[in-house]
Amino acid sequence: MDFKIIPSTCSYCGTGCGVLFQVMDGRLVDTMPMKTHPVNEGKLCIKGWNLHEHVVSDKRLKSPLIKKNGELQEVTWDEAIQVTADKFKSIINNHGPDSVGVLASAKITNEENYLAQKFARAVIGTNNVDHCARL
Amino acid sequence: MQEQIREWLEQGKIDIFLGYKMIQGHPLPYCFTKENPDDLNDLIVGKARYSLEKIATKIAAEHKELKIGLLTRDCNQRALNVLYIWNQLNPENIKTIGVNCCPSNLKEHGDCSYLEPELTPPVKKMIGIDNNMDVKIAEEFNQEERFNRWMYEFQKCIKCYGCRDICPVCFCKECSLEHTDLIATGGIPPEVPIFHLVRAVHMGGRCIDCGLCEDACPVDIPLRLLYRKVNQIMSDVFDYTTGTRADQSPFNMLGEEVTLKPKPI
Repeated sequence: MDFKIIPSTCSYCGTGCGVLFQVMDGRLVDTMPMKTHPVNEGKLCIKGWNLHEHVVSDKRLKSPLIKKNGELQEVTWDEAIQVTADKFKSIINNHGPDSVGVLASAKITNEENYLAQKFARAVIGTNNVDHCARL
Repeated sequence: MQEQIREWLEQGKIDIFLGYKMIQGHPLPYCFTKENPDDLNDLIVGKARYSLEKIATKIAAEHKELKIGLLTRDCNQRALNVLYIWNQLNPENIKTIGVNCCPSNLKEHGDCSYLEPELTPPVKKMIGIDNNMDVKIAEEFNQEERFNRWMYEFQKCIKCYGCRDICPVCFCKECSLEHTDLIATGGIPPEVPIFHLVRAVHMGGRCIDCGLCEDACPVDIPLRLLYRKVNQIMSDVFDYTTGTRADQSPFNMLGEEVTLKPKPI
């Protein structure tokens, strides 16, 4: 039997509520609010209360999918990245870099979000960057 | 206290102990084990108040034979009693160490590390219900005003289900608050006031007045006051004091015969 309480920050929006993850035998089983956290003071919204669900959800994609002949098929990361890069290239060549927009996620880290905007500005060449926490 | 717990762990009287430890500057619930007895030096007792018995219930559901030790205030103890009589925890597998607590109507003398009640803002006092109000005083408003004041409180609800999720005595597998025949689900705001009243009715004979629901409510609905009223009816009509009785509340609907008996007049 192994039971741990892990303090963390809710990843659903920009507020940054303190949450406690309950981990039983290596499985994330529940979320509860951190009572002493200065942001949420022991309160959460319905999304925060169910934070563990998007980690353990059956619907979570675990490998890249590409639509081939009208059907989504599992492919390797190499192939997925190659296809995406090729498509980006052709879109940028035909319609210009401002035809691409980047919407970053609250479920990745600050540093990864920084990389996402850097990718948009330096690689694609557009300022069309936004983030889901700006809801 | 640390020595006592260490002894219990070493002698195998308990397998784990649920208490509190400072982690990243916050007093958080922590599971102490036999494997790491030195952790016990960091055990703290303070104002931190989480539902350790709810965590214990969750653990016991998966590890039925595990012996669990707990740090308990009076509210935790009352919750444990309710969980025992509703067969959610086996009293033989639970050992407790009591600590000081905050006062409550169900316990007259609170020798306590009382968490100061929050000051009620003026607008809430004017058109809503003061969370620190007594049941009697809350009943002094005339019917129309009382209704309007409670509706003001209920309509703030953002339907986070926090009151249910934090509740140490909410353990039903199927919850009425998610039952589509009773309450419309999937929309915000919730159906007011039916959402709150369904929960209030279910708290009759269950609520142990710990106040965690009110702590967890993002919009400050005076839930504790509401459930105190429900439990007052339980006590007035059925002579049932929740949390201290050794039998299930008369609202036990399992079984074939109606067992609901009012108290003798």
